[in-house]
Amino acid sequence: MTAIPRTTAIDPASVDLRTRLGKLELPHPILAASGCFAYGQQFADFMDLRRLAGLSTKGISPKPRFGNPLPRICETSSGMLNSIGLENVGAEAFLAEKLPFLAELGISVWVNFFGEDFASYVECARLLEAGRGHGIDVLEMNISCPNIKKGGIEFGTVPEVAHRLTRACVEVTDLPIVVKLTPNVADVVAMADAVAQAGAAGVSLINTLTGMAIDVRTRRPRIATMYGGLSGPAIKPVALRMVHQVATALPQLPICGMGGILGGEDALEFIMAGACCVQVGTANFARPDAALVVLDELRARMADLGIGSVSEVVGCIRPLPPEAPRVDPAG
Amino acid sequence: MTALALPSQFSARVDVNRSLGGGYVVLEFSGVSGGALGEVVAGQFVMLRGEWGRELLNPRAFSVLWSEPDGRFAVLLKAYGQGTSRLVASPVGARVTVTGPLGRGFRPTDGAVTQLLVAGGVGLPPLHLQARQASARGQAARLELFYGGRDRDDLVLLGDFEAWGVRSVLATEDGSVGARGFVTAPLEQRLVDARAAGEAVEILSCGPTPMLAAVRHIGLRHDVPTWLCLEEEMACGFGVCLGCAVPVHGARPYQYCCSDGPVFEAKQVRWP
Repeated sequence: MTAIPRTTAIDPASVDLRTRLGKLELPHPILAASGCFAYGQQFADFMDLRRLAGLSTKGISPKPRFGNPLPRICETSSGMLNSIGLENVGAEAFLAEKLPFLAELGISVWVNFFGEDFASYVECARLLEAGRGHGIDVLEMNISCPNIKKGGIEFGTVPEVAHRLTRACVEVTDLPIVVKLTPNVADVVAMADAVAQAGAAGVSLINTLTGMAIDVRTRRPRIATMYGGLSGPAIKPVALRMVHQVATALPQLPICGMGGILGGEDALEFIMAGACCVQVGTANFARPDAALVVLDELRARMADLGIGSVSEVVGCIRPLPPEAPRVDPAG
Repeated sequence: MTALALPSQFSARVDVNRSLGGGYVVLEFSGVSGGALGEVVAGQFVMLRGEWGRELLNPRAFSVLWSEPDGRFAVLLKAYGQGTSRLVASPVGARVTVTGPLGRGFRPTDGAVTQLLVAGGVGLPPLHLQARQASARGQAARLELFYGGRDRDDLVLLGDFEAWGVRSVLATEDGSVGARGFVTAPLEQRLVDARAAGEAVEILSCGPTPMLAAVRHIGLRHDVPTWLCLEEEMACGFGVCLGCAVPVHGARPYQYCCSDGPVFEAKQVRWP
């Protein structure tokens, strides 16, 4: 039989939620995810943003971008598809108009960024470097959005290309770069290894899975671009598998986990799979204070299970023990 | 267009689940643990999500039918998909998470212009609330309702407009009530008459998209200020997911139904 760890409940107030992603220290593991939190301001009506460990902004490109035609979203079983089209205000407007609000919060500010080609990725990292010391703590490099054309797919799927791109961006900024990887690859460990070798401070796992939904009445796709990114609890098992694969193969590489986290137990699963922090995404649409619900539930669940600190359970899972050997009396 | 109360997120319970026939249901809610909706402008909406577990994620958007200072409010709905079907089946006492009031509503009548309220289907609530609020200010005579549906059962809450003293022009496709056909026919005649009389009018409309498209064309053709309360699929309701894009003319190709609207001026909307 499997040995089950002690489950004597402890006082929730005594649970030590502190964690770290490389050199970055966080008061607890719960951040809000890129694309699901805009630039933060909209949430101030509904929650105390300062209770978050941090947030990752909407993806920023060097120039502003308008989004895709509609419909852009549709709900699917335990998830949703989106093809927003990386709409954003652009790096210059972000630094001038959005960053000051975020800098005041005193939480870890991750700026998700991307380019439309190799050069514009590097340009974006260089532009955002100006926010170092003015509120930006981490650059989260998005090499994985399914909703960009112009050959962008190879940034996230060819290890050598990802390596070169990461290295080029690391060279133009002193901010730590966490690379957000796509699950739409055969070997996520090879991708993680490639960006780690290039100087990434960590990886975010995972972005959306490419998917599709059809309206059989109209015989049309339910989003205008035909395919979109699937998020929500439907993708959580895939995300956990990838976090665990990377954590196992590359134990020194810090991982921020995400994909369908709705509650505290989801977050704890990611942590046990090997993530040192997590992001809450699609759940923010279900209720604006979702990330704080996850935080409160995580503390309560850990206390129930007698887990005194996050650090003691990061990557703690072990395989099930082998079966007893079979004895065949007739043999 | 104005937006008054800051939105909040709160828990509410179903106080009343009232069937109006024809599949229409009014759900009345009251906030729990101090939650309240606050003052609502006609056209503003709430996002509602029941205790739906993990299968059905996103809340659903509903225009507010009425709200009271004590925090009670109501919406009108019909079962259409999974979310609305579950809400329609909500027993008294069921809990929902509410976010609102959201969006920018209609502007109130200034008394000098007659507002023609053009409604269809579950698009009635913002116009119903506009009439309720105008009536409370003693301006019901400045409003006229043009209300269309498939049949008799498709026209609901008519007694309210009568009680407020708002003149109603009805149309049904089967001719069971009012004029036979679409309500846009009597609307267009009303615009012709207004022009002949030199009367200032504007159109406020909410209903099925084909109806709004027709109302938009009529408003543009007669050069009458026309305001459309739109609906698009939305995940959040407050300007974050960027799912509910509305194609518009101007410097940007899209605005957002939830945060720039849901009320848009017809000439601004980039429809065929």
